[in-house]
Amino acid sequence: MTDLIIAQAFNGLVLGMIYVLLAMGLSIVWGMMDIINFAHGLFFAIGAYLAFTVASWSGSFLVCLLAVPLATALIGMLLEVTLLRRLYGQNILYQILMTYGIAIAGRELIIMIYGPVGKSFDQPELLTGVIPIAGIFFPIYRVFVFGLTALLTFGMWFVIEKTRWGSIIRAGTENLKMVSCLGINISRVFTLTFGVAMAIAGLSGVLAAPMRGIEPFMGDLILGICFATVVIGGMGSFAGAVAGGLIVGLSQSMVTLVMPSASVIIIFMVMAAILLIRPRGLMGIRD
Amino acid sequence: MPTCTEPAWLNRWWLSHRLLILLAGLFAVFPFVLPYTALANEIMLFALAAVAFDLCLGYGGVMMFCQASFFGVAVYATALTLLHLTSNLFAAIAMGVLAASLLALVVGFLATQRSGSYSVLLTLAFAEMIYFIAFQWSGLTGGDNGLTGIKRPNLEIPGLFSVSLQSSLAYYFFSFVFFIAAFYTIRRITLSPFGKVLMAVRENEQRAQAIGYDTRRYKMAVFVIGGFFMGLAGSLYCMYICFAHIHYVHFEVSGNIVMMVLTGGMGTLFGPVIGAFIIVLASDVASALWDRWMLIMGAMFVFFVLFARGGLWGLFEKLMRVRLRNR
Repeated sequence: MTDLIIAQAFNGLVLGMIYVLLAMGLSIVWGMMDIINFAHGLFFAIGAYLAFTVASWSGSFLVCLLAVPLATALIGMLLEVTLLRRLYGQNILYQILMTYGIAIAGRELIIMIYGPVGKSFDQPELLTGVIPIAGIFFPIYRVFVFGLTALLTFGMWFVIEKTRWGSIIRAGTENLKMVSCLGINISRVFTLTFGVAMAIAGLSGVLAAPMRGIEPFMGDLILGICFATVVIGGMGSFAGAVAGGLIVGLSQSMVTLVMPSASVIIIFMVMAAILLIRPRGLMGIRD
Repeated sequence: MPTCTEPAWLNRWWLSHRLLILLAGLFAVFPFVLPYTALANEIMLFALAAVAFDLCLGYGGVMMFCQASFFGVAVYATALTLLHLTSNLFAAIAMGVLAASLLALVVGFLATQRSGSYSVLLTLAFAEMIYFIAFQWSGLTGGDNGLTGIKRPNLEIPGLFSVSLQSSLAYYFFSFVFFIAAFYTIRRITLSPFGKVLMAVRENEQRAQAIGYDTRRYKMAVFVIGGFFMGLAGSLYCMYICFAHIHYVHFEVSGNIVMMVLTGGMGTLFGPVIGAFIIVLASDVASALWDRWMLIMGAMFVFFVLFARGGLWGLFEKLMRVRLRNR
C-alpha cells in the first residue's frame, strides 16, 4: 500500500512539474504584459502535435525536445508582433477575446491538419522500462521528465533572479511604466518574454505527449487547470507557480487513489479553499 | 401653434420606445420568415442571454467568463424540477432563475474580491469547476448523456384556464413575452439612477469610490442581475429543447455569448440582439456546410477586436452620423 502511495505521489509530482512549466509561462505573461493568455493551452497542444510530426519524421525524441520549443517560440513571437502588440495598455477584455479567438482558430487548424481523432505517442525507446529505487519501480520516462523539468525550473529561477533580463521582467511586473522610463525597450522584452513562455508551453506539450497521448482538445482541458494553478500560486510569482503546480499535481494524483472521478474537481476545490483563506493566492504579489 | 395633433405624451412615449417596438415587431415575424421556428426560438433566447451579459459588460464594466454556468445551471435546475418535483411551468422557471441567481451571488462575491484580470480569471475558474462537477455528478445531471424525458408543461392555472404550449410556435410566443419584458426591464435598469452609478463604476472605479459608492456591492449586484436574466434564458431554453446537457455549462457557450455582444456592439443592448441573430444563424448555416466553421468564428473574434470594437451597431451608428453630417 505504501508502495502504491509513493508511486502515485511520484506520478503526481511529474504531472505537477508539467503544470509548473505551464503556469510559469502563463504567470510571467500575465504579470508582466497583463495578458490572460487563453492561447496558452493551444501552444501546449501545438507542442505535442509538432512533436508527433517531428518524431515520425526524424525518429528521434531528442530532436523533438530541441526543435519543437524553438518552433512554438517562433510562432508565439510572430503572434505577439502581428496581433497582441496592438492591444497593450488597453482594456483586458480585448486581449482576452483576441487570445480566445486565436485559441479556437488554432484548435480548428489542428483538427484540419491532423484530424479530430486523438493519436497515441510512443515513448522514446531509450527511455522505456522501469528502474527500481528502494524496491519501488519507477518508469524511466517519468524520472527523465521529472529531472528535465526540475532542471528547467531551476534554470528559469536562475534567469529570473540572477540575470539582467530577469530583473527587467521582475521590475516590469511591479511597475511597467517605470521600466520603460529607464530607457529599456519594452516591446522587445515583451516579444522575447512571450517567445520564451511559448517555448516552455511547447516543451511541456512534448513532454506530456508520451504520457497522455495527443488529441485536439488537450489544450482546452489543460488551460482551465493552469488558470486554477496560477490562482492558487498567486499571479506574477515564480515561487507561486511552482508551489501551485506541485499542489495541483499531487492533490490530483492522491485523490485519484481514493476517488478517481473527483480528480479534476479537487483542483478547483483546492483553489476555492485557498481563495477563501488567502484571496491573492499563496504567494501573489499584487491584485 | 404646433401642427402636431397627437398628445405630447404619446409622442414622447413613441420616441423613447420606438426601438423596443421595432424589436418586438421583428421578433413577432421571425418564426414566419426564418426556415423553422426552432431557429427563431434559439435566436431569441440567446439574444436574452446576450443582452443580460451586455448589461454586465457594457454598462457595469464587469467582465466574466461564467455565462454558461448561469445559463446551464438554470437549464439543469429547470430540468430537474420538471423531472422530479412538479410539472408547474412557473415553478420550473422560478427554480431555474433562483439557482442561477444564487450561483451568481456566490461567484460574484468571490470574483469581486479581486479586480481586473484576476477577477475575470476567477469567474473562469469557477466556470470550469461547475463544468467538471456537472460532468462527474452524473447521478444528478446525467453526465455526458444529459437529462432526457423532460415534458414541456402547459400554461395553466388549474380550474381557470389552460393553454397548450406543445407546438413550437405557441412556446415561441410564450417565451416572446418573457423576452420583451426582460429586455424592457434591463433597458429600464440602464436608464435608472442605479444604471448611472454602474456606468460611473465602469468609467472610473476609484472616482466612484471617492464619491462614496461601495463599488464592490454594485459589481456584485451586476453579477446577480446578469445571472438572473441569463438564468431566465436558460430556463426557457430548457423547456424549449426539452433536454439538459453538459454542453450548456461548457465554456464554449460563454464564448458564444461574449461573441454575440462583441459583434453586436457592447453597451448598446440592441446590438447584442443583432449579434445573437448573426451568430446563431451563422453557426446553424455554417455548421451544416463545413465542420470546421469554428475556425471562422475564431478569426471573427480577432477581426472584431482589431477593427470593429463598436460591433455592428457601432458601425451602423457611425454610418448614420456620417449621413446626417452630409445632409
